[in-house]
Amino acid sequence: MEITKFDFVNVDERARSLGCNIPTNLALLPRNFEVAEFKENLLHESSAATIRVLFRNNNIIETPLELKGEKFPHISEKAFVEWIGPTIFVSSALLSQNPHILSLALGVISNYLTDFFKGVPGVGKVKLDVVVETKKKTCKKIHYEGPVSGLEKLAEVVQEVVAGD
Amino acid sequence: MIDTHKLQDLTTEFWETATQCQRFCFAARAREYQVEAIEQLEKLKIKTTDLKAKMIAAQEEDSANQLLSIEEMINALAHELKMWVAFKDDDPHTAWTELVEAQSSVRWAMKAHQIADHLAPYVEYLYALEKLLFPPQIFMSAGAIVKRSTCSICGMEYGDCEHVAGRAYMGQICARVIEEADLQETSVVPEPANKHCRILAISDEGGTRDLMTWRLIPEKLSDQGPEDIVRQHFLKRDV
Repeated sequence: MEITKFDFVNVDERARSLGCNIPTNLALLPRNFEVAEFKENLLHESSAATIRVLFRNNNIIETPLELKGEKFPHISEKAFVEWIGPTIFVSSALLSQNPHILSLALGVISNYLTDFFKGVPGVGKVKLDVVVETKKKTCKKIHYEGPVSGLEKLAEVVQEVVAGD
Repeated sequence: MIDTHKLQDLTTEFWETATQCQRFCFAARAREYQVEAIEQLEKLKIKTTDLKAKMIAAQEEDSANQLLSIEEMINALAHELKMWVAFKDDDPHTAWTELVEAQSSVRWAMKAHQIADHLAPYVEYLYALEKLLFPPQIFMSAGAIVKRSTCSICGMEYGDCEHVAGRAYMGQICARVIEEADLQETSVVPEPANKHCRILAISDEGGTRDLMTWRLIPEKLSDQGPEDIVRQHFLKRDV
């Protein structure tokens, strides 16, 4: 299991400069959100649509980057024993209103992945990024790589990052 | 109203048949018994599909999913037996295809219903067969930008409905159907999603060799060039 922390672009400013909706709560960020030149270049991970359905089915409300009726394409790169999740952004406002939202979201993903890896030999590998906005409005990315069982630890590390800023 | 005993009876018949047929899932067993076991499984599959249709008509979702899982377990066993038969027929390419189908079927069986939750050791066994019976394969995987995909259950844009790809709904596994995509690249990968996408032949000064058997491929076929052979296989299996 590997958890790494990075600085991340200011999501609010970046979304504004690309002409996207400003995510005020929880949002799925495209894989090239930091570097895309234009909104038309933004690409979601193939797992993004499924995660959206799971969040919706579990009453986890997203404030998407996409404008109403807009769809970003997604990349399709499939590996047998690996699942690459979308980058999950959580705003500081949402975290202060509902500190358990990320644990809830990761729990939903974790349950889904337990089924996803059924019938796959060995231990399935998960890659997932969480971007959190701190109280100072800076953003940090926490990258997770490891088994499904380690996702609980990811929620703890995110809380530490938010508390430590 | 569906008679629940029918599901129970069929489940019992499946376990009994599976136990009998598993006796022939060894290289040493006689070919004729393996063929007979495949026929037995195919007959049982017809009965299972028929009962599943009745469960779907009665909107009995859990029973329909259980029968889907049984169908896939039947497929897995039949494909494994066909793999052993193909080896006896000196046809390792077909044997590979059957093994990969067995692996897929057991995966769908486990996803469809908890009745197949105990199959994790069988998954590992099929994976071990892949490593022990076949030479290392060179796999390929395609990367694409998908612009539009739909849900196989309801036909809506995937993500706009409540269905989740890979889950069972009323006896059917939900799949994301790619409707519009731009192919970006193909690459050699160690663990592909689709193990049917593999390089079949290589060429050197000595001619074109079949990567599975190491036999030289007759000139007429090898004239197509290995790229064509790969492409043909890729198109047939991955689209």
